[in-house]
Amino acid sequence: MIGNRKRLSSGLSVTSKVFVRSRNGGAQKIVREHYLRDDIPCYSKACKVCHDIIKTDAAGELPRFILSENPSKTKSGLRHYIVVDTNIILHAIDLLENVSCFYDVIVPQTVLEEVKNRSFPIYQRLRGLVKSEDKRFIVFHNEYAEATYITRNKNESINDRNDRAIRKVASWFGTHMKTNHSENDIGIIFICNDADNRQKARAEKIDARSLVEYFDDLPNGEDLRDLIPSDINSGVDFHNENEASFPEYYSNSRIMAGVKNGTLYQGMLNISSYNFLQGTVQVPAFRKPLLIVGSQNLNRAFNSDSVIVELLPKDKWREPSTTIVEESNIGSNDNANDEDEEDVGSAGSGVVSDKERILLAQEALKATSSSAGVQKRLQPTARVVGIMRRSWRYYVGQIAPSSVSSDDTGNASKSCFVILMDKVLPKIRIRTRKAKEFLGQRIVVVVDSWPADSRYPNGHFVRTLGEIESAEAETEALLLEHDVEYRPFSKNVLDCLPEEGDNWVVPDLVNTDDPKLKKRVDLRDKLVCSIDPPNCVDIDDALHAKPLPNGNYEVGVHIADVTHFVKPNTALDQEGASRGTSVYLVDKRIDMLPMLLGTNLCSLKPYVDRFAFSVIWELDDNANIVKVEYMKSVIKSREAFSYERAQTRIDDKSQTDELTESMRILLKLSKKLKQQRLDAGALNLASPEVKVHMDSETSDPNEVEIKKLLETNSLVEEFMLLANISVARKIYDSYPQTAMLRRHAPPPATNFEQLNDMLSVRKPGLSISLESSRALADSLDRCEDPQDPYFNTLLRIMSTRCMMAAEYFSSGSYGYPEFRHYGLAVDIYTHFTSPIRRYCDVVAHRQLAGAIGYENLDLSHRDKNKMETIVKNINRRHRSAQFAGRASIEYYVGQVMKNNEAEHEGYVIKCFNNGIVVLVPKFGIEGLIKLEMLGDVNTAIYDEDKYELKFTDLQGKERRVAVFDKVNVDVKSVKDEVSGNRKAQLLLR
Amino acid sequence: MELYSPEGLRIDGRRWNEIRNFECRINTHPNSSDGSSYIEQGNTKVICVVQGPMEPALRSQANSNEATLEVNLSVANFSTTERKKRSKSEKRMVQLKTTLERTFQQSVMCNLYPRTLIRIDLHVLSQDGGMLAACTNAMTLALIDAGVSMYDYVAAMTAGLHDQTPLLDMNGLEENDMSTLTIGVIGKSEKLSLLMLEDKIPLDRLESVLAIAIAGSHKIRDLMDSEVRRHGNIRSSKLAS
Repeated sequence: MIGNRKRLSSGLSVTSKVFVRSRNGGAQKIVREHYLRDDIPCYSKACKVCHDIIKTDAAGELPRFILSENPSKTKSGLRHYIVVDTNIILHAIDLLENVSCFYDVIVPQTVLEEVKNRSFPIYQRLRGLVKSEDKRFIVFHNEYAEATYITRNKNESINDRNDRAIRKVASWFGTHMKTNHSENDIGIIFICNDADNRQKARAEKIDARSLVEYFDDLPNGEDLRDLIPSDINSGVDFHNENEASFPEYYSNSRIMAGVKNGTLYQGMLNISSYNFLQGTVQVPAFRKPLLIVGSQNLNRAFNSDSVIVELLPKDKWREPSTTIVEESNIGSNDNANDEDEEDVGSAGSGVVSDKERILLAQEALKATSSSAGVQKRLQPTARVVGIMRRSWRYYVGQIAPSSVSSDDTGNASKSCFVILMDKVLPKIRIRTRKAKEFLGQRIVVVVDSWPADSRYPNGHFVRTLGEIESAEAETEALLLEHDVEYRPFSKNVLDCLPEEGDNWVVPDLVNTDDPKLKKRVDLRDKLVCSIDPPNCVDIDDALHAKPLPNGNYEVGVHIADVTHFVKPNTALDQEGASRGTSVYLVDKRIDMLPMLLGTNLCSLKPYVDRFAFSVIWELDDNANIVKVEYMKSVIKSREAFSYERAQTRIDDKSQTDELTESMRILLKLSKKLKQQRLDAGALNLASPEVKVHMDSETSDPNEVEIKKLLETNSLVEEFMLLANISVARKIYDSYPQTAMLRRHAPPPATNFEQLNDMLSVRKPGLSISLESSRALADSLDRCEDPQDPYFNTLLRIMSTRCMMAAEYFSSGSYGYPEFRHYGLAVDIYTHFTSPIRRYCDVVAHRQLAGAIGYENLDLSHRDKNKMETIVKNINRRHRSAQFAGRASIEYYVGQVMKNNEAEHEGYVIKCFNNGIVVLVPKFGIEGLIKLEMLGDVNTAIYDEDKYELKFTDLQGKERRVAVFDKVNVDVKSVKDEVSGNRKAQLLLR
Repeated sequence: MELYSPEGLRIDGRRWNEIRNFECRINTHPNSSDGSSYIEQGNTKVICVVQGPMEPALRSQANSNEATLEVNLSVANFSTTERKKRSKSEKRMVQLKTTLERTFQQSVMCNLYPRTLIRIDLHVLSQDGGMLAACTNAMTLALIDAGVSMYDYVAAMTAGLHDQTPLLDMNGLEENDMSTLTIGVIGKSEKLSLLMLEDKIPLDRLESVLAIAIAGSHKIRDLMDSEVRRHGNIRSSKLAS
């Protein structure tokens, strides 16, 4: 419905939008003003008239014209712009992002809004495309343009009206191009996958095509056709009568009602990494997670989907499976049968009333809260009845060789399975004509849908990464798998860098008009040096120390002043914020900020002047803080040491120059700081981290080394911790609601239950106490096995896995007592010292600059909600960067092992009734040894209370293996032919 | 909801510095009052009726030095999409009422009317952002219609800040999501007789917001001025004939 238009001035008229909204059952009529204007340009560089009508924005900038005057041609030589329909964007956003097609695209506002309502992530990707300008996408605000605005007709559905509005855009552009672009003849192609809409468009003389028709008319169309998603590729039907069917999801209203009255629960599904048919969902209502067993109960949910679950009747409650199940035998279309198909029918058929469900919930609450008792291991089970949000993304995998028929000769597309690298996900069915070509390659796919009557999800091919086990393909695969943005920086990001590039130098501080430069303190006379790992190029911290006349010491930590270059709200800042952190792989580094900043302008290189953010303390002889000052400064590093070189220099008694002396002061103070920290209860945990050495010539990995720690490592670390703590206090003081901080929650006792149980059974007398971090640290120290020096480290590794992950947060979201960093045993903490590679530090820098009155703090760091989004993103990025780094090490360790198979010591860290998990400290790997590989399957007995597996080994001897046992294993690296993953295979000696 | 698109258009299709449709009439209730006006700023609609200067009903209201202004603000139950009963003693209402009284105490030449009462009744018929501004503008017009001496027009306007962009004349949706500044400007000057900010705006951004709000107020003054002159011309032509 629509009111009358009223002309206000030239080029602006007002009308009103009237619509009815239903809320709480009642209908509300809403009237809104709607202004129509004639100053919305077509954004085409070829246009002759639109340059005269545009207006500036608040910053005084004119809109940029983006559509090329010489757009790409079709086979028939038609130069064209593209108008896209909503369904194309929703289903083929990957194609829109593809670099080989879709340039000069017009997105009508109607489409943009429809996309936003249907899928916000896709909307954001679309906005990203528009913003980057690389592919020349524009948004045309047709709803606000007088020429293209249409009113809804009587009896016309809203969808029909929107379709008509989109067609109107296409036809308006068509005539606009014809009349106003004299020399270039540019056509408009309207791409839409709705046959009915296309027909109407053709009646209106619009060149409307389906995606397939459009690609057929492109010069490179052949290659693109395979990329068309399955669900809009007409005539493709995966439906298969013989396949098992899944229960339908509940309707939205039923879910809403269920969640509200407490009979349904929402949570994130977490699939067990040992058993892909078993998942857990942590819901706030219960202390322990709910168990979901079997593919019918999982009901098409993917790992980390946000799901709605319903409790199963009590007789279906069970212990978590102690069996290892992997989706390993992939051959025919059917395999990997569920271990408990019998559960399925009854789960769906049993009619349970809401009242009974609430009783059940109370029962479940009882079961999860009492840790002792007869049914102590019995866990409530549940089934998935709805999915709130899918976690679908790009997946990397490879085509299952057995699913490709060898006799196929034609060019028709065949369906085949893709086995994903991530073991906890099911395989995906795609249709492609090039299945044979892709065999043995890592390919990227996306999931389109998973209908209830299909055993496997349907997806489509996106692109190929290259041969399996080639370094590039594997690196790219793991970056994609961990959702790390690794594409080169776009042009508008690079435009934010200083024009001088590598020739940038620190400007003259004295003769300057810039008031900010005058506020900088000149610290070039201080004897500053940096200590980093060898060959480090992004040096973000440096130190200095000198004795003061009063017997105290002046110690300074100088951090690269990244925020001098990365100003808030620039494209550079946004890119940094979205990347969140640099990612370090064995052979590659994915930077958060462009190279120029990271390795040159910001990097505190020796012998040159650099901007820094300095924290300078006065410390007394016992390393207590007497005074602390913060300042933006200019420094000149005297030397860049590696840890080893710094260590030798300090140890070399003949060196008595000032620089060495100052390092000795630093070392002395750092030891005191460390002792203070340990006394306060800081934890000393271990991780089985190793380092891979690369051959310098062939860049092949050739050696694995357990990370060594020198005194100088801890020297730098202690002062960085001190700086972080001091800065955290300062910014919390100035911005109590939005300070960027980092906390580490104490581990809940339940996390340690199993470990403590294992200890009490296997190592009587030892236990881990959890009252405080101090108690935990002490009890870990006590847990020694006189026979086995490594046992303590092993226990530390296992405890680390029971810990909570530290997280970033803004100070408004928790109370002060919860700021505590458990692992470091300090009350407040942040990250300040590595702004080149972490975004948290960038925010902390800005907040500190605001706190000391150097410059005004940007709004986005003063707004609670905006901080919340920043924090959420950097937490996620931080986690995936860690996983990616580990996966990279794992891959290279596998490559190293390929060449040296040998026998090594290992420790049993987990026991199942059909296998054991062994950790090999030498390589920092852990591997599963299945019972079949150990000995006779039938006579094996698993004693659950003792965490012990008894079996007859292949030589016929009786053996017992239990948790914490030291075993000798043969380590071998094998390639899994099906998934293409190289894994360490362990064999018990 | 996207209040301001990257292409520079607001949720209702305006640009950053455009005011909404502004309509005003004076002398709408010539028989029942001494001065009256009706104002539409977008979908915010206000009627204002002025009685006086007259003898106050209560002795306590008489001030021997100047006139007393009494503002009664009533917001109709149907003025928002959700019907809501509102009482006059609501804290927010009282606050708005005092704000209006204080604003006009400065602009009306009260010393010309000692021992009198000027009663102003405001009726908000429909709300869509900028209610205080619309009330101020309606009062200015009604007081002019009543022939009460004033130093100059008081023209009011709202402005807010969306990220870095100042936005002029906020509608209801925008007002819900952003902090809003309401100012009343005296005539063509840059003197403010009203400044109301119920939320936070960073100090370094305030100036740009104020600047467009003042520019907007001047526009409103011109529109009100032309209405007053139009009405005046009709009157004088009647007198002449």
